[in-house]
Amino acid sequence: MAVKEVLVYPDPRLKEVCAPITEFDDSVSLLLKDLVDTMVAAGHSVGVAAPQIGELRRAVVVDVSHSKLGQKQENHGLMQMVNPEIIQHEGHQIVREGCMSVPDYTGNVDRAETIVVQFTDENRCQQVIRCEGFEAVAVQHELDHLDGYLFLDRVSSLKTDLFRRKQRK
Amino acid sequence: MPYFALTIIGRDRPGIVSQVTEVLYQLGFNIADSSCSILGGQFSMILIISSPDMQAGEDFSAAFAPLEDNNLSVFIRTLKPGGEIRPDLHGESCMISVYGSDKPGIVFQVAKELGDHGINITDLNTKLIGDEQNPVYVMMLEALLPAGIEQQELESWMKTLKQKLQVDISVRSLVTMEL
Repeated sequence: MAVKEVLVYPDPRLKEVCAPITEFDDSVSLLLKDLVDTMVAAGHSVGVAAPQIGELRRAVVVDVSHSKLGQKQENHGLMQMVNPEIIQHEGHQIVREGCMSVPDYTGNVDRAETIVVQFTDENRCQQVIRCEGFEAVAVQHELDHLDGYLFLDRVSSLKTDLFRRKQRK
Repeated sequence: MPYFALTIIGRDRPGIVSQVTEVLYQLGFNIADSSCSILGGQFSMILIISSPDMQAGEDFSAAFAPLEDNNLSVFIRTLKPGGEIRPDLHGESCMISVYGSDKPGIVFQVAKELGDHGINITDLNTKLIGDEQNPVYVMMLEALLPAGIEQQELESWMKTLKQKLQVDISVRSLVTMEL
């Protein structure tokens, strides 16, 4: 078991675009294991992306099945994703997100309601999976890390947005 | 190092934030937390500030005189030691929407119900919308349910209030997705 330290902004590695994994060697299996171990050790976490533990490669793990929110919906349990890519998205949902790499701050983010994500799994098999609700949010959040985006880059509305939009004439 | 609460309010126009923050910058102030918004026609700023050089409000209040000359009202309050530290807030977060024909006491009665049950309001916005013939009052608030109070209980209290005040009230949980 290798629990890694989760990097916290302003660590510059969190703003890097990660490189695709071209060869699925042992180092990739080890990376996935570290990501799972780190996610489990972090207790409340439902996902970790490789750059959060300082590895600038395109890999994330997501598991919403242990969280209160995720359990309410259909989900795929533990997903270990290499070179994940969202190939389809549909709908919108506004969710309030927090991130281990940006402590003490939460923000309302606009995410797709349903996504189809393609990736190579831990057994080197190609997978195409449809996620919705909380699981879809978690996948979108983790994939953003691979492109150097934090949820702070996605905040779509301040709390008072509702009032700001409706200007009294 | 003491912290100060600075409140500035004045008729909204472009340039208020830059004028205020220029004074703060020149004085060496750090802006810790702040919230600014347009309320009615007024731009309202509330800031928690500190500077290693400033021990009391009198040390720098004169620097805001030019702002007062520009029709901005400036208030400074010195926080007690530790007053800048956010309280450790516990509980389930929820959002309450209240809206209906404008009448006296909407905010008070809802707030009293929450306060009487030890429910902490962490954010609150109200706005008068509609037209003069049919003014509609809208209130949005976030509150923390302490341990031992379930959302269903809160909903039942709000249902009673809804009938009493003849307004619409809805409650929903506001869960932050920790990722």
